[in-house]
Amino acid sequence: MVDTGRSVGNNGGAAGSNRPVWLQQYDLIGKIGEGTYGLVFLARTKSQPNRGKCIAIKKFKQSKDGDGVSPTAIREIMLLREISHENVVKLVNVHINPADMSLYLAFDYAEHDLYEIIRHHREKVSHSINPYTVKSLLWQLLNGLNYLHSNWIIHRDLKPSNILVMGEGEEQGVVKIADFGLARIYQAPLKPLSDNGVVVTIWYRAPELLLGSKHYTSAVDMWAVGCIFAELLTLKPLFQGVEVKAPANPFQLDQLDKIFKVLGHPTPEKWPTLVSLPHWQSDQQHIQGHKYESPGLHNVVHLPQKQPAYDLLSKMLEYDPKKRLTAAQALDHEYFRNDPLPGHNALVPCQSGEKVVNYPARPVDTTTDFEGTTSVQPPQSVSSGNAVAASMVTTRPMQRPMNMMNMPRMPPGVASFNLASQANMAGGMHPGGIPMQRGPGMPPHQQQQLRRKDPGMGMTGYPPSQKSRRF
Amino acid sequence: MAANFWASSHYKQLLDQEDVEAVHSPDKEKGITLEEFKLVKMHMANYIMRLAQVVKVRQRVIATAVTYMRRVYTRKSLSEYDPRLVAPTCLYLASKAEESTVQARPLVFYIKKQCPDEKYRFEIKDILEMEMKILEALDYYLVVYHPYRPLTLFLQDAGLTDMTQLAWGLVNDTYKMDLILVHPPYMIALACIYIGSVLKEKDTTSWFEELRVDMNVVKNISMEILDFYDNNKGILEDRVNAALNKLALKQ
Repeated sequence: MVDTGRSVGNNGGAAGSNRPVWLQQYDLIGKIGEGTYGLVFLARTKSQPNRGKCIAIKKFKQSKDGDGVSPTAIREIMLLREISHENVVKLVNVHINPADMSLYLAFDYAEHDLYEIIRHHREKVSHSINPYTVKSLLWQLLNGLNYLHSNWIIHRDLKPSNILVMGEGEEQGVVKIADFGLARIYQAPLKPLSDNGVVVTIWYRAPELLLGSKHYTSAVDMWAVGCIFAELLTLKPLFQGVEVKAPANPFQLDQLDKIFKVLGHPTPEKWPTLVSLPHWQSDQQHIQGHKYESPGLHNVVHLPQKQPAYDLLSKMLEYDPKKRLTAAQALDHEYFRNDPLPGHNALVPCQSGEKVVNYPARPVDTTTDFEGTTSVQPPQSVSSGNAVAASMVTTRPMQRPMNMMNMPRMPPGVASFNLASQANMAGGMHPGGIPMQRGPGMPPHQQQQLRRKDPGMGMTGYPPSQKSRRF
Repeated sequence: MAANFWASSHYKQLLDQEDVEAVHSPDKEKGITLEEFKLVKMHMANYIMRLAQVVKVRQRVIATAVTYMRRVYTRKSLSEYDPRLVAPTCLYLASKAEESTVQARPLVFYIKKQCPDEKYRFEIKDILEMEMKILEALDYYLVVYHPYRPLTLFLQDAGLTDMTQLAWGLVNDTYKMDLILVHPPYMIALACIYIGSVLKEKDTTSWFEELRVDMNVVKNISMEILDFYDNNKGILEDRVNAALNKLALKQ
């Protein structure tokens, strides 16, 4: 049962020092991200057996209101501690520094993310992302999402920068869904994000939310995946609305307008619950004011309407959340059964002759230390790739939240906990010996899940047909 | 997993009775008996419930807080972790985990208001420090399942919704014991339905048979609950205080 042998007690704080003992097991390389929650650092493990492995350390700021560990951090840890899937980022350690009440989450480090991959193609490479890579990225993203949804977790903030891709190493080209700060278990009705004062980018926001729906369902994540799919194809955000910046969840008319322009107006015939959405009613003249005649999604994404890729995309961008494709349904789509088949390493196409794109390494700001203090020395330039402790140049502003992970295991016993010891938790979902067969006799936690066809939760099986090729 | 109890950290952390009932050595040295250990935990569960009523959080938050408190004491001693601070801090942490955050300031205020005894009084800073220690003691496992949802579903299925209030109250009382650390929540729910159906003289035999659960376990849990009621008639404030005084925590 419980692993009583595990050390949980590393309080970590060297007396009076801001540099806790546990941090000494890492070499800090630099800052790789910054968000409202705090900072993300890249570090390397000093000790065996993972000497030199990269990890990303997310440091949460103390909550401003003097109220202890931020609820966002609590919820993120809470979820990450329960989930384990190949396509979901892996939490390897949690550390607490009692000296300044800061909290650190250590993740496997991922060198790339979809934001950077798309940007690289748009700005540096003269061609689009190859079809194999697009399909593999999308398949793995859906595979991770299907796992989350099967476990009644909605991510709620899917966007290219939160979809990580592993760099060189065993897991090269594997997608990892990251940033669970807004994710929720939805067995209980969810409060709207706006009620919690949370601001997320509007470009990937589902139309039902833009129209004021108070209820989040897993369909909001599927809308975001549709937007990301289109962006992978065209290298441009599909619906680039201008955000209305105001407190208290303002109505985002421009974003809706961008959607309507491409997909046409939603109609109550096709989306029956539309009429009950707050903004559909209250802002009728705005929303229903100008009509857009011909839906032009295929023109925007440059796909013939007969192609499976177009069919899949249009079903993810279905207005009615009830009709929108689920992650499980999407994985079953014809698109994934046609050549090129999706693979494990999304970045390296299997067909010989296909050009492999070398994506740049994540920029690291080496002038910032763990306390977030910036030194005055100017950033220095360094080569990309597996560049080690040398400093790296920061080439882009760091406003967007980032999350990076990449390291299979922490040395046991060095820190508060070691997730690797129980990494296989998602495998055996139904321990034997609990013979409850009848519907309500089943543990009700599990019941709702059984309603749907077993989505193969926790199974990271790729389409079997390609097994021979890619493994 | 979030919605699958069998894949959850909660399921993996279920303990054997003996492990839950081990008095930690620092407490033993101070003369704390098993009975006193249980008594202090029960008293602290009651304290959490009282505080929760004034800060107005849902039953679920209370249940999670009590579970955190009980889990802490499977790993830490009463001597190291003053229960009078652990209890409100567990409520504070549970309120964040269950998305109905209670701020530290009003919590401290209500503690002062509720407890004439100075030894229960703590500053915000104490709560915040203890929050971190509790997170570590819990090994950052924060998702907790409770019998309430299965209870509701079972009662509907059995056509016993008129028993809801009674069974719900029984479930609330199970948090005065360590059952949540030992048994899957749905089994606790079934035990409460079993007791309820005996009390109300409802024949649920065939319904239970159809469930194909281990009735021996259901009956054993039921007996534990009934024993608990028998053993705790009349209140025990003096005995709780005697135990807490042995610990000599805060002067």
